[in-house]
Amino acid sequence: MGFINGSASLVRFSVEGELPENTWDFIAERVKAFSFEDIDDTYDEYSIGWVSVLNMFDSDFAFGSYAAGDYVTLTLRIDERKVSQPILKKFCAKEEERIKKERQLPKIGKAMKMEIKERMHTELLRKSVPMPAVYDLCWNLGESTLLFFSTNRKAQAQLEDFFKETFGLLIMQQIPYVTAEHLLDEDQSYRLAGIGPEILV
Amino acid sequence: MDLVDLMEEKRFLGQEFLTWLWWKSEERGGSIFLPDRGDITVVFEKHMLLEYGDGESSEKLICSGLQTELQEARTGLLMGKKLEQARIQLVHAEQEWNFTLAAAMMEFRNVKLPKTAATEAGANADPEETEGMILERIYLFEELVRLVNELFRQYLQIRVGDEWLEERQKLRNWVNGSVKKAS
Repeated sequence: MGFINGSASLVRFSVEGELPENTWDFIAERVKAFSFEDIDDTYDEYSIGWVSVLNMFDSDFAFGSYAAGDYVTLTLRIDERKVSQPILKKFCAKEEERIKKERQLPKIGKAMKMEIKERMHTELLRKSVPMPAVYDLCWNLGESTLLFFSTNRKAQAQLEDFFKETFGLLIMQQIPYVTAEHLLDEDQSYRLAGIGPEILV
Repeated sequence: MDLVDLMEEKRFLGQEFLTWLWWKSEERGGSIFLPDRGDITVVFEKHMLLEYGDGESSEKLICSGLQTELQEARTGLLMGKKLEQARIQLVHAEQEWNFTLAAAMMEFRNVKLPKTAATEAGANADPEETEGMILERIYLFEELVRLVNELFRQYLQIRVGDEWLEERQKLRNWVNGSVKKAS
């Protein structure tokens, strides 16, 4: 849901820095290098990468399908294995009981508790299915602006880091004050810097 | 100043703009004149969120209802609360957007685009048609941002200009008078 169909939530970023002259070749190479790798059949905890906005299983981008006119459209896919706390707690307690019985121990020491917790966490992590999350973006190359289709702060931070890693470019969220600086001339921007909240009653 | 500090210190700017926009939309029955665009219609729909204070000590007030005059929201303004979110209908050149503007961070939430043949069709097997649909949706998202930015520019130019004192007085009169008017 979002960019391609239905209703969408979005925030704006500016893209800071210059792209090389062979822009599309550079983008093709970088997108491919940072495309999403599936972790369903591995024990990896985390994977982040680019997929097609039309299909979250397409990370090959046949025929440069991320390009639309002067725009780059991509989906950031993040798969993560997680163990929920109540489940971890339950399996730790179960294992502690088993060991107490087996070794005839009245109590389990702190160090052993830690070891059990770590072991259970690893075991449960391996059994868990990676949870996928997808976030669309649309990068306007002509204006160096980017629409990101999520208002989730964590996702925005992940985008900032991964976009920089992929393209070597910084993105800056266009909060009202930053947008205002783009909309006003120099003199007006200077005056804007000096204003504080107004009482409207 | 870095972005995090700017977010905090200038948080009021977006909220003040949204309050100004509410007043502006009521001033001429929903119609606002934009110099390069002509009249655009801005209607505040019946869902708003106001806030008061910062961080953990902040209070939030949600007002919604179909057949209301948003009396609580108007009283909230009078109590010094800031308008943080509002559901807005925006009409320009026979195209209608519906969206919630979250003011402090300028987030566009639950944006419903104008209905066009391409946006209704969705993706299909033809890559050219799909690209056309994508480009049309991009245009409509960007057009919404451009229109809101034009409104924001209008507010900003007044806000940093000499006419702000007069504008502020009108805004205050509206805040003070709108509760009585609605009751």
